[in-house]
Amino acid sequence: MLQHIAHRLLISVPVLIGVLLVGFLLLQVVPTDPATVMAGPTATHQEIEAIREAMGLNEPVIVQFGIYLGRVLQGDLGRSMISNTAVATELGNTVGPTVELMVASLIWAVPLGILLGTLAAVRRGKLSDRIIMAVSVAGVSMPIFWFGLMLIQYAGFHWKLFPFQGRGGPLWTLDGLNHIVLPALTLGGVFIGPVARMTRTSLLEVLGSDFVRTARAKGVSERRVVVGHALRNSLIPVVTLIGLQIGFLLGGAVVTETMFAWPGVGRLAVGAIVSADYALAQGAILVLALSFLLVNLVVDVLYAFLDPRVRAR
Amino acid sequence: MTELSATPAAILPDDAPTERLKRPTIWRKLRRDKAAMLATGFLVLVVALGVLAPWIAPYDPYDNNLRMMLKPPSEAHWLGNDGQGRDMVSRLLFGIRTTLSMGLLAVLAGGSIGAILGLLAAYFRAMEGPIMRVVDVLLSFPSILFGLAIAAVLGAGTTSITIALTVAAVPSIARITRGAALVVMQQEFISACRAIGMSDMRIMFRHLLPNCASTIFVYLTLQLGQTILLGAALSFIGLGAQPPTAELGTMAADGRNFLFFAPHVSTIPSVAIFMIVLAFNVLGDALRDVLDPRLRQ
Repeated sequence: MLQHIAHRLLISVPVLIGVLLVGFLLLQVVPTDPATVMAGPTATHQEIEAIREAMGLNEPVIVQFGIYLGRVLQGDLGRSMISNTAVATELGNTVGPTVELMVASLIWAVPLGILLGTLAAVRRGKLSDRIIMAVSVAGVSMPIFWFGLMLIQYAGFHWKLFPFQGRGGPLWTLDGLNHIVLPALTLGGVFIGPVARMTRTSLLEVLGSDFVRTARAKGVSERRVVVGHALRNSLIPVVTLIGLQIGFLLGGAVVTETMFAWPGVGRLAVGAIVSADYALAQGAILVLALSFLLVNLVVDVLYAFLDPRVRAR
Repeated sequence: MTELSATPAAILPDDAPTERLKRPTIWRKLRRDKAAMLATGFLVLVVALGVLAPWIAPYDPYDNNLRMMLKPPSEAHWLGNDGQGRDMVSRLLFGIRTTLSMGLLAVLAGGSIGAILGLLAAYFRAMEGPIMRVVDVLLSFPSILFGLAIAAVLGAGTTSITIALTVAAVPSIARITRGAALVVMQQEFISACRAIGMSDMRIMFRHLLPNCASTIFVYLTLQLGQTILLGAALSFIGLGAQPPTAELGTMAADGRNFLFFAPHVSTIPSVAIFMIVLAFNVLGDALRDVLDPRLRQ
């Protein structure tokens, strides 16, 4: 087990360096000179040159990359070119809401997806199976923003059920809960289809296996066969696949946050790109990529923990 | 000498025989699938509309007419008018044209790069490690991140989004191609090609590639749906086609401002994206079932 984790950690190192390199290059290719920005509009040529020297901008690119790595490791991602606050601080404020939104979406969408997938697998080939699968294909094809727009239009505006702009506060307050409903419905909505599909495929495979036949042969009720024997075994791949789909969820989160003015990393990144705030954009993309790397790592380790066969390999 | 060089062509027609036998059955099976046929018909229609947009659009899609602002559908304007009084039918036709060409271009470019990488990885054992490692890394990142990163460097616009969509399409196609090519590599005719001294390039592109083509084609179809969806999402958040360009995602974003009193402005392009992507997904699923019955469940 420890060996598996160590191996997994080791192979993430080159990827990590790759991600950091991309973050660094992002700052290299942009058309603005950070020293000029930092010096301000009234700076003389000498002042800019001094700042360049101090920031290490006159060093070879390789050395600059080293300086960049050192700074990132210390949590220094530079300063926003527009608000002049530390990028790390701005990002720190947005990570919480994004995680909040993703958890709030998973918490209802995953159980519902598993339930629908199980129903479809058990009633394989029947009308309910076909309906569930058709809805799932439709869900996969649905632009997330359309679903969100409909929720805003009806549940938000016409029926006035929930607010649809911004975050109301921490989740334990009523206002906070009210504000997260529509974004979480939007983001979770696109996730049900894939989860249902994965569950169905995985469960069908297990239902055809020998131990299920044995369970049936010894007279276990169909309900217990499905829930107690088959579903438990089919959930392992589903859990992993859900973990691997976090990237898909992250993509949806970027759109959802932008639509609902949800103060998360995705909205921050999009805003920074649109306003050409390169330092902030670089930081946001870096954080998104790194957190994604981390989630993958955790899922992988968790998978080995859940399924002894992976460890043996 | 002439005799020798004539032999390979006689034994191994460049268009591999297995492929030629398979093709009619695929079509026959596919024709039995009503949903797939419906999707195909719809896609043919949509592509035709997109191609013919400049000739069949009733109005100029960029022609502002503030007196017609946000008008609901009428006899003169079947789908109504948008926030600047532009005709929605014309905008929709040109939007389909932009969205489809962005997606097609990206999938063709990304698919070609991916297919070549996959073939190289399957054919040259030494290249497999490095290529597949990079592919795995690319595959492990959410495509939206490519969109964000490339838009951050090049600025928002159709070009950056098309590049991002291309990059996003490469890894999955590379992996699929490698898988399919590895199977073909096991077959005797590849050994025969080698035995008669055919060049690596010729084996790869004249024999290996045609035999993987059907698999690659199916995944390109599936990928096209996802690519269009991603492109529309990126445009919607403002990183793709910039106004006033008629692009479905941008049009949907534009309509957000009038959602409460003129919902048709954002609903029409959204529905169009949904139906196009749905058609690609239905067709891709059906093709996959036909070509790879093992996956049918």
